[in-house]
Amino acid sequence: MRKLRLASYWASACGGCDVAILDTNEHILDIAAVADIVFWPVAVDFKYSDVEAYDDRSIDVCLFHGAVRNSENEHLARLLRQKSEVLVAFGSCAVSGGIPALANFKRREDILNRVYRESPSTENPESVLPQPHFTAGDITLDLPDFYRRVYALDDIVPVDYYLPGCPPTPERIWEVFEVIVSGQLPPAGSTVGVADHSLCHECSRVKKEKKVKTFYRPHEIIPDRENCLLEQGLICLGPVTRGGCGARCIAANMACRGCYGPMPGIIDQGAKFISTLGSIIDEDRVEDAGAVIDRIVDPAGTFFRFSMAKSLLKGARQP
Amino acid sequence: MKRVTIDPITRLEGHGKIEIFLNDDGSVEDVYFQIPELRGFEKFVEGRPIEEVPRIVTRICGV
Ligand code: SF4
Ligand code: SF4
Repeated sequence: MRKLRLASYWASACGGCDVAILDTNEHILDIAAVADIVFWPVAVDFKYSDVEAYDDRSIDVCLFHGAVRNSENEHLARLLRQKSEVLVAFGSCAVSGGIPALANFKRREDILNRVYRESPSTENPESVLPQPHFTAGDITLDLPDFYRRVYALDDIVPVDYYLPGCPPTPERIWEVFEVIVSGQLPPAGSTVGVADHSLCHECSRVKKEKKVKTFYRPHEIIPDRENCLLEQGLICLGPVTRGGCGARCIAANMACRGCYGPMPGIIDQGAKFISTLGSIIDEDRVEDAGAVIDRIVDPAGTFFRFSMAKSLLKGARQP
Repeated sequence: MKRVTIDPITRLEGHGKIEIFLNDDGSVEDVYFQIPELRGFEKFVEGRPIEEVPRIVTRICGV
């Protein structure tokens, strides 16, 4: 059988997805047995010019990690779409913006100022900001354009499959590889490497009644390991999050932040959690319910932790 | 002036690009190392509760 031509790329990403692929451990040898890697910056030395020279659709499967934050990310998204038969949005950043999309709460100018002018560890006496074009004599250098907000991969190009998680677990990644190798691909547009039930369903904690009188911050409570964290008053996105990770944060006694994305049918994970709160806060009077809500320190940054680029609002209003 | 572009630099975490400029005798005249990426953690952790920061900044580098 012809070997698969496989690419893996990181756009606005941390490299954790790449490491998760390596964390399939000895299965990486099984992957190497059936696939030739034709582009994977973290591991092999192919250049962008190599990819540009490939025939269109000659990459069988491209695993695209990372959000689209700048014009280089967008260029690579378009290039890899053109060169790949199957394009997978791999990891929360590519699927829904992930952690980088928390920047959608901030203005572009404020980000640049903070990073290059105000941060205490930055020395920038001439107060310069990165410029898309720089000229010194007859030398011209270019940098990508830093966009006003972060986009998910499918905001830029059509995507065939979605594999969420920050990062996806090695177990799920290997299952998806097995499906790819079998050639029995699910319908285009499917989310793969996930369960059809919610995270709560695969969480082994005791669930009684989701009724909450107050919310706590971690330093105000020592949560027990047996009972539902949300019922103990810790914000947990389990009810609106898709299962698949094996409830790994819960196993560490930490509440879920929703990296596996919303349950099927939910358009906006954070908004859905807001409506969940409406049903679990155990107060009848509006003022009392409001007082419970006020105990949540950073609702937007918590409920939309991994999904801001795909939320209905996309970001904070920018004057 | 001859220009040699290394893009991307590979087998490390993150994005990098190197531009080498050679003069007429083929010696290196100038080298620029560029980091064509920014996410802005320095800004977007502002407003997040301190206990959440370890769950956010772990995504600066996952390698
Ligand atoms: S809310 Fe969190 S802790 Fe509670 S059952 Fe769901 S996933 Fe488990
Ligand atoms: S528990 Fe939630 S945040 Fe943690 S890995 Fe699973 S889906 Fe992601």
